[in-house]
Amino acid sequence: MGEVILTMKGIDKSFPGVHALDHVDFEVRSGEVHALMGENGAGKSTLMKVLTGIYTKDAGTITFEGKEVEFHNPREAQQAGIVIVHQELNMMGHLTVAQNIFIGREPRRGLFINDSAMNDEAKKLFAQLGIEINPKETMSSLTVAKQQMCEIAKAISHDAKVIIFDEPTAALTDAEIDQLFVIIRDLRAKGYGIVYISHRMDEIKKITDRVSVMRDGQYIGTLVTEECTKEEIIDMMVGRVIYEEPKTESHCPPDAPVVLKVEHLNAGRMVQDVSFELHRGEILGFAGLVGAGRTETARALFGADPKQSGDIWINGKKVSINSPKDAVEAGISYLSEDRKRFGIVLKKSITENSTLATLKNFTRGMFINKPKEAEVTQKYVDALKTKTPGIDQLVMNLSGGNQQKVVIAKWLVNDSQIMIFDEPTRGIDVGAKQEIYELMTRLAASGKAIIMISSELAEILRMSDRIIVMCEGRKTGEFDIAEATQEKIMSAATRDIDMQNRKPVQEGEAS
Amino acid sequence: MKDLLNRFKSLKLVRIMGFNRVVLIGVIIVLCLIFQVLSAVLNHGNVFLTYARFTSAMNYGYFIGFLALGVTFVIATGGIDFSVGPVMFCAALISGYCFNNYGFPMWVSLIMCPLIGMVFGTVGGFFVSYLHLPSFITSLALMQIAKGVGSIFTKTQNVSWPGSSDPGGWYRSLSNLDITVGGQRVNIPTGLIILIVVAILCSIVLNKTKAGRYMICLGANREAVRLSGVDTRRWEMLAYVICGTLAGFAAIFYVGCYTTVQPVKGDTFNNEAIAACVMGGTSMAGGLASILGTVIGSFIIAIMQEGILSMGFNIAFQYSLTALILLGAVIADVMSRRRRN
Repeated sequence: MGEVILTMKGIDKSFPGVHALDHVDFEVRSGEVHALMGENGAGKSTLMKVLTGIYTKDAGTITFEGKEVEFHNPREAQQAGIVIVHQELNMMGHLTVAQNIFIGREPRRGLFINDSAMNDEAKKLFAQLGIEINPKETMSSLTVAKQQMCEIAKAISHDAKVIIFDEPTAALTDAEIDQLFVIIRDLRAKGYGIVYISHRMDEIKKITDRVSVMRDGQYIGTLVTEECTKEEIIDMMVGRVIYEEPKTESHCPPDAPVVLKVEHLNAGRMVQDVSFELHRGEILGFAGLVGAGRTETARALFGADPKQSGDIWINGKKVSINSPKDAVEAGISYLSEDRKRFGIVLKKSITENSTLATLKNFTRGMFINKPKEAEVTQKYVDALKTKTPGIDQLVMNLSGGNQQKVVIAKWLVNDSQIMIFDEPTRGIDVGAKQEIYELMTRLAASGKAIIMISSELAEILRMSDRIIVMCEGRKTGEFDIAEATQEKIMSAATRDIDMQNRKPVQEGEAS
Repeated sequence: MKDLLNRFKSLKLVRIMGFNRVVLIGVIIVLCLIFQVLSAVLNHGNVFLTYARFTSAMNYGYFIGFLALGVTFVIATGGIDFSVGPVMFCAALISGYCFNNYGFPMWVSLIMCPLIGMVFGTVGGFFVSYLHLPSFITSLALMQIAKGVGSIFTKTQNVSWPGSSDPGGWYRSLSNLDITVGGQRVNIPTGLIILIVVAILCSIVLNKTKAGRYMICLGANREAVRLSGVDTRRWEMLAYVICGTLAGFAAIFYVGCYTTVQPVKGDTFNNEAIAACVMGGTSMAGGLASILGTVIGSFIIAIMQEGILSMGFNIAFQYSLTALILLGAVIADVMSRRRRN
């Protein structure tokens, strides 16, 4: 490990309503791989965005190679020598490898691009990295792993001194990961400073020298990887503070009948062989990190996305669900994580939204029975205490919490037996959050079967009767609420799992 | 001033019609006055506000009105249709040719018009909603097909529908009914009456039925409607079927007023129909539609056309001007959306 080349000190950044970074310190030495860890929303990405000039910091200093710097956009950071290799690769598939690497700074001969010089340069870069890729190949014909190596080559060609890897292994197979690690170790030996963001505990132990942990926008501490255990890191990530009183035992009676049974559900890379049961009156929490495949599971179950295989039983009867229409008719409702895109029609009124799923119950012949529609809408506005001047109000004029209540009303009008709440309190203020929790508890008590997908551990522990944990498209844990702890959930969610059960990810499958 | 505006906005009639429709009626009045003055100045004392010009503008307004009503449904779902003009001409060509050359009875030819339009609408709707092709491309292709089919069928000849005194000429009474009262010939605008009846039907479909509710909602947020368990493809397709049918229906009124149809023509009416819709307050982004606005918009287009002729300019000016109006209306639509966000 060499000397410190990058120091971030007292970095502070606020967004409306969120203190995203609270005086965070972070440093990178040359020739080290420094892991940055934390739950979703801990502030890792925000910190890196501040570093590379995507966000402007409110306070704090960044010192790079002994000089205080401030980047105004990613380009400036790149020129100075700080480069991100993104999780989602920013490549133009129809261009060649060399064209991608040198985009915007192509070697020229007069007015024309000097293709042969460009290809030679690219070849030299790959030689430096010790990998074999033909610079003339089109980018889209490469595997994800190779595309990523091109990004790394691009980073090096910028004379980078610090390279940030943002979840680089998310889409790679085990063999590809090993190859990536060879390259990263090589870069380390050459004196690059490397920031490594990942949720995978086993990788952290394997590749990194130090680990810095963030939680809720705060810097928690830095450990030397060799000297610490996984448990220590997880403890730092989840903290000891529990904000809300968790449930201590299941509220669902042990003899409650199975309402929904899902077996061997497969849908692309994000849903692999998922099986579970859901009981009447139960709140089943789906925990995991963002991108674990929970939403994809829900959407496949609901018929919103196509699935490859899997059997679904409702009340012991096998059903075939190929579209949301089938799901709604089978008594399933889905409250999307992205309310504005998938949940409500913003430009339309509360009434129109409330009856959207059940309009056929509100018609007389061809015509909509508007008085009946208004009566039912008003009933649910009252029952859910939706704050609005009237039922003709456009939904876009309501607050997030009240919009969520309109979505809930839509499904209550449908009297769905199974309700899937995907991140039910995202973008909702604390007071309304409480109301949504109480409402879900009441619904479960009245006999509805609820699936709640949440990335907030506190929310999972507070609401669920039983918890399923997913990681990378697979179910990696199942706990009764009585035995569940933050540590157990986090451990299952970070792929600290039984590795024998894991099949390598198939290439070319839809993601 | 602002207070006055608000007081005006809260008048009962204004509330029922919608502020923007009232403004459009104001536009019609202002346009008439401008044309009155400009015709006199530019065209040797020509007078714009005459009965003959009025009926002529009406005649133009009927078929544009039917086209625009159809397009309103498609735009409400978030799509666009550039095929209505040629589809109308195709229907007029084929059914007129059948009347002239194969001895079809007039009533059969008249019924054929909307049916031919419906075939085009169904095909276009299927491509857009079930095969997820962009409506823009689909309708451009259909436009060419309509032009081609119409002229192949008629061997690239003009088709002249019968005149009022010819056998079968009664169909013209659907557009204009001439009766003699006390020795005076009086023109009754039957076309206007039928247009209003159809517009009311369209308004009922759009605002009072399940089909209309789904069409508008899916225009505003297709995915949310689909995830509510609605078969969005079916309802989206219906909008195109209605649009095609109305385009075919418009043919009856085009030939009723002008009798002669040329092959490989009709595309200039697309822009006019779309401009009428957007001017009337139907949003290009989908999810918002006004039938009354579309009808008023159609008559603004008709009056523009008359006004330009009255000022002594030729029809080429009309094309450029419609295009400018369309741009203006879309800018207004985009700006009002931006303000709302």
